Amino acid sequence: MTDLHSVLLDEDKCEGCTNCVKNCPTDAIRVHQGQAIIKDEKCIDCGECVRSCQHHAKQISTDGLDKIGDYKHPIVLVAPSFYGQFTTDIDPVKIVIAFKQLGFEEVWDVALGAEALTRKTAQYLKDNEGPIISSSCPTVVRLIKLLYPELLDYLAPFKSPVQLVAQRAKERAIKEKGFAEEEVGVFFITPCPAKMTTVNNPLGLEKSYVDGAIAVDKIYRKLLKKVKNMDVSMDYEEYETPYLGISWGKRGGEADLLSSENTISVTGIHNVTSILDELDRGDLPSIKYFELVSCEPGCVGGVLNVKNPFVAQFNIENLVEDHGKFIEQSLDDYDFELDKEFTPNTVAPLDDDFASAMAKLTELEEEIDELPGLDCAACGAPDCRTLAEDIINGLANRTDCIFILRQQLAELTDEMSSLAHSLPPIIQDEGD
Amino acid sequence: MGSNADSKEIINAEVEAGDFSSGGEISSKLKDLLRKLGTSSKLIRKIAIITYELEMNIIIHSEGGSLAAEVNPGRIDIIARDEGPGIEDVDKAFKPGYSTASESVREMGFGAGMGLCNIKNYADNLEVESELGVGTTIRASIDLK
Repeated sequence: MTDLHSVLLDEDKCEGCTNCVKNCPTDAIRVHQGQAIIKDEKCIDCGECVRSCQHHAKQISTDGLDKIGDYKHPIVLVAPSFYGQFTTDIDPVKIVIAFKQLGFEEVWDVALGAEALTRKTAQYLKDNEGPIISSSCPTVVRLIKLLYPELLDYLAPFKSPVQLVAQRAKERAIKEKGFAEEEVGVFFITPCPAKMTTVNNPLGLEKSYVDGAIAVDKIYRKLLKKVKNMDVSMDYEEYETPYLGISWGKRGGEADLLSSENTISVTGIHNVTSILDELDRGDLPSIKYFELVSCEPGCVGGVLNVKNPFVAQFNIENLVEDHGKFIEQSLDDYDFELDKEFTPNTVAPLDDDFASAMAKLTELEEEIDELPGLDCAACGAPDCRTLAEDIINGLANRTDCIFILRQQLAELTDEMSSLAHSLPPIIQDEGD
Repeated sequence: MGSNADSKEIINAEVEAGDFSSGGEISSKLKDLLRKLGTSSKLIRKIAIITYELEMNIIIHSEGGSLAAEVNPGRIDIIARDEGPGIEDVDKAFKPGYSTASESVREMGFGAGMGLCNIKNYADNLEVESELGVGTTIRASIDLK
């Protein structure tokens, strides 16, 4: 792992198959000498490789519960999708209490920030023609930075609900409770590697307000035990659950709450890519707001969750049903503004000089014509086009293609055989 | 204008009439090629929109044709050629909302009559040659600066 990403490879488990290579939406993985290699500059932390690896060789580096001991005042942020991991007979307040029992001093719902952001975005939609793309899913923001830089201006210029709540909780602990900054540790219970990555590498911010991220699947068992054994009569400071904000954890939750016309909700990274393609070619003039989430169906589909995504969606739907009001809070409690604009993170052109790039493009097309076009991925690249590009960039050889290699071997064999037959008769006689 | 020694074709693909399922493929491919050449994202967007409109024009209105992209010194040309039926009144075709698309095409959400206007808005130069019963050639140029 680097600071840039949180998906890493367990080399002992990687069999060198190409399932991850073929499922990567940004062509960021190659297999070399039996091991998958993730290209940092192209990875958007979507977790598709984790999902597609049958050998469980792709792992996600997250923090353990022990890390909260480093802080005098540990705070936990609970993701909306986390509530989908429980059946609805479990009162959300019990989950809050259970986190306290695990050692956290304060428990905050990210859904609270989601509600605030919904209200902020609704205002923004009134003042802007659009289209506007939600910037809450870090994978979608990274995808746009990498492949759709021309759409960066459409991203809503606000912090994500996680960062909004983290900043509010942290500043409150410092100002109102008198803790020093280094004594306060904000931990997010994360459903996905993308949100893990934003701890070290935040988007649109100088510095993340989150100090650590604990994977849902690492804390679930401990928490479930506490929840199951909990005394029902226990009370918790009249904790108000932000039910509406919790619906952000599933597809449509975010867009529906805006109560605005012309919104669309698209989940699943490949679906997101195809809707961005359409938006990019100016083909969606009537849609004003795009809720785009990398996982299907929404954050409940994050690879670090434990429940089947659709069951989790069902749980959330049941939980938020019959709740129609936002929690009363002032938008002034949040600082929505980003520190800096979202900037492009595109892959370098074939050459910085236009004429040289043109020459390389011609070479590339010729290289593509040489390859069989079967996209079998046996070379370790996802398809023939990408292998051709790697060859042009000096990162691979044409004989990495087994069909080319076989053809060259056949030619070599023919040549050897004809050489053998062209030996002077005197030598052949000797052999007899 | 036209092809010369300094001009280089980077894409040339057939477009089938009525093939809505492939619509946008050429535009996407061209976008990828331009990115490899280091073209700025603003220009790429313009070119992608123009290419897509031209591609859809052939799919919706024509009896089939082809789409090509040419890199020339200082500019990129997108050339759409089709085999008919030809535009009856070129001036009229440039008016916003003017459309000859059939009811069934409109029901699919296409043919709102914004295509040629849209292309004109984004292109730095536009040439349309059309002959009824023969076909139409449209060359849209975008300056590279």
